[in-house]
Amino acid sequence: MKKILLLLVSVMFTLSSYGQSSIDYSPVNTVTQVGDTLIMKFQYFKGDGNDLTLGQLDFEYNNKLLSYISHESQAPTGASFARNAWTGYKYVPKADSDEDDMDVQYIYWRDEAGNNSYETGADWSVERITIQSASALENGQEFVKYSFKIKDKFNSGYSDYSDIIKVNWANYQESDGTQIQTTRSKDGQDLSGIEGGNAGAFVINLKTANSTKTDYSYTIKNGAGESVATGTFDESGQASVTGLENDITYTAEANLAEDVDYLDEVVTVSDLALVFAEAIGAGSGPSGGSTTFDYFIQDIMGDVVGDNNGVDFQDSYEILAYLQGVDSSNTNLITQDGQTEDYSGIESTYGAVANDVVTFVKSFTPTDGTTNTIDLAHGLRGDVNFSHSWTPSVESGGKSTSARQSSARYSKTQSEDANIDLISEINDEGQVVFSINSDVEGMVGSQFNIVYDPTVLSLENVIFDTGNTMTNFSNIVQDGIVRVGSFDQNFETTVKEGTPYKLIFTPLETIENTSGLISFRVKEGVKADGTKINFIIQ
Amino acid sequence: MKKLLLLLLTFTILIGCAKDDEFLEPITNEEVPQSLQIKELIGIKLENTIVTDRVAMNVKLPLDGKYRIKIRHGINNELISQEMIEAEEGDNLLRVYVASLDKSGYMIQLTDEFHNILGNQSFVVN
Repeated sequence: MKKILLLLVSVMFTLSSYGQSSIDYSPVNTVTQVGDTLIMKFQYFKGDGNDLTLGQLDFEYNNKLLSYISHESQAPTGASFARNAWTGYKYVPKADSDEDDMDVQYIYWRDEAGNNSYETGADWSVERITIQSASALENGQEFVKYSFKIKDKFNSGYSDYSDIIKVNWANYQESDGTQIQTTRSKDGQDLSGIEGGNAGAFVINLKTANSTKTDYSYTIKNGAGESVATGTFDESGQASVTGLENDITYTAEANLAEDVDYLDEVVTVSDLALVFAEAIGAGSGPSGGSTTFDYFIQDIMGDVVGDNNGVDFQDSYEILAYLQGVDSSNTNLITQDGQTEDYSGIESTYGAVANDVVTFVKSFTPTDGTTNTIDLAHGLRGDVNFSHSWTPSVESGGKSTSARQSSARYSKTQSEDANIDLISEINDEGQVVFSINSDVEGMVGSQFNIVYDPTVLSLENVIFDTGNTMTNFSNIVQDGIVRVGSFDQNFETTVKEGTPYKLIFTPLETIENTSGLISFRVKEGVKADGTKINFIIQ
Repeated sequence: MKKLLLLLLTFTILIGCAKDDEFLEPITNEEVPQSLQIKELIGIKLENTIVTDRVAMNVKLPLDGKYRIKIRHGINNELISQEMIEAEEGDNLLRVYVASLDKSGYMIQLTDEFHNILGNQSFVVN
């Protein structure tokens, strides 16, 4: 009987192992030095009789030890290939399950995990590859090759190069949608024997609240003001600079590209509320006792008129006019589509006050035998709530006013979540109606940046039902993006509950439904006490 | 007794190895292209996983009524687009328009009117 059971177990084990396809990942080349290029291949192995036509794999790499250079599709002729990447996330495997079981992890991500499948983790970047083919992929078909530059582990927080790449899940499917059982070839990719590092390269760490760090560039100048090094930051916000000399003083500054597509999301109704509150309560500059800001740097960032006179009503009306889409005929410094006004400086002194002046110290001096790295903080004009800017950490940069020490009446740090419902549908007249439904109480301002497909929809009307005395605005920021919202300058009237905003679109072609035609970017509100409301949509 | 148990175990393994569709007659709608057919009674399926402009979609429903189709971001699950449809029991051939969405990974989700999830599929805008 024992023999029979043993045989049965052996057969079942063999069958279960045989029945798994796999995602294999391994280096193509040998790397030995910091700065070497590591080439990784990701490959399909067929372990059963299934015909794979859709292959999707999700992996993460340690961006403090590796810097993405490029990728090269290995998809066969005729197959479709797509690559997605996100920095600052790390996969959270399904609890009490086999982390090597790739299809189980995929189903967990798709159907079970909801918001819990990835956690924020600044040291990690997630990559996702999708290959779809009309015909079955061959056994051993490579999906993609990635090239990474090996970074110095010195000052990275890691003592070795173990588990620097890990495949999180794989979605292998047959043409009829049948899920193929899949395993991975290893838990994680290790590198050993990496030499070099800390040998003269100077590292700049970008400090910003913006998650897209590759949109920033740096410039290093010598004492004569000549540029000696320029470049862009990698996905982790680091830049490695060579050629600097010890004991020579340089300056460093960071700049955000002016052609990125989210600049009209930087200054919003929450910034407007903060600037209005400041204009009402103070306007007396860095040493003013009645200021409502938390940091002196906000006086500079809120001075969007650029008269170097702190924040006053001119600044608040300039931002209101910007949000309303009204031409004030003034030249302003508001960060907006096609325009940035950057501030940057060494993080340890960024926004510090010296002799009543807010400073942005940019100078540094590489020295032999010390850590050759600086943290460079960056901010944008108009972004007084620091949504895309670095919040100062230096003590002298904070305002020790009663407003800050008590309940922080207009504190930018206050925020809360509230549920709303944004939904599109086709009405009986064949129009597309996009409704913003809210039961949130106490909002003195709200803003929604709505994106639509202008080749399929034409915006006909915006219907406001916010109450009788709110200042409402709607304007087309650019073709296919409309900004809608309200604001009460007196901080007394609040946005009416129900359906305060309704957008009516006329289809430019026959459509049966509206999935994907309308999406939302900025969606936020602000209360009379300055609390920012982050809208959550179920 | 041992022989009986062994016979029972062997029979169980054989049954387990058989394909489900040998027992269940698949319900198919001949008007639905093969690439959009859904085996289950409820679900959502796109014609392609990699999409550039628009893509055909099948939404298979258990009953007539109102349903939500949601598009969520593929990494943080944030809802970025949502529509309400009034549809009939069975297959409903619709479209997803992606031209104005950022190039990224997404999840499309079918729920009932009250947000109970009925089906998911990942897709990529390329």
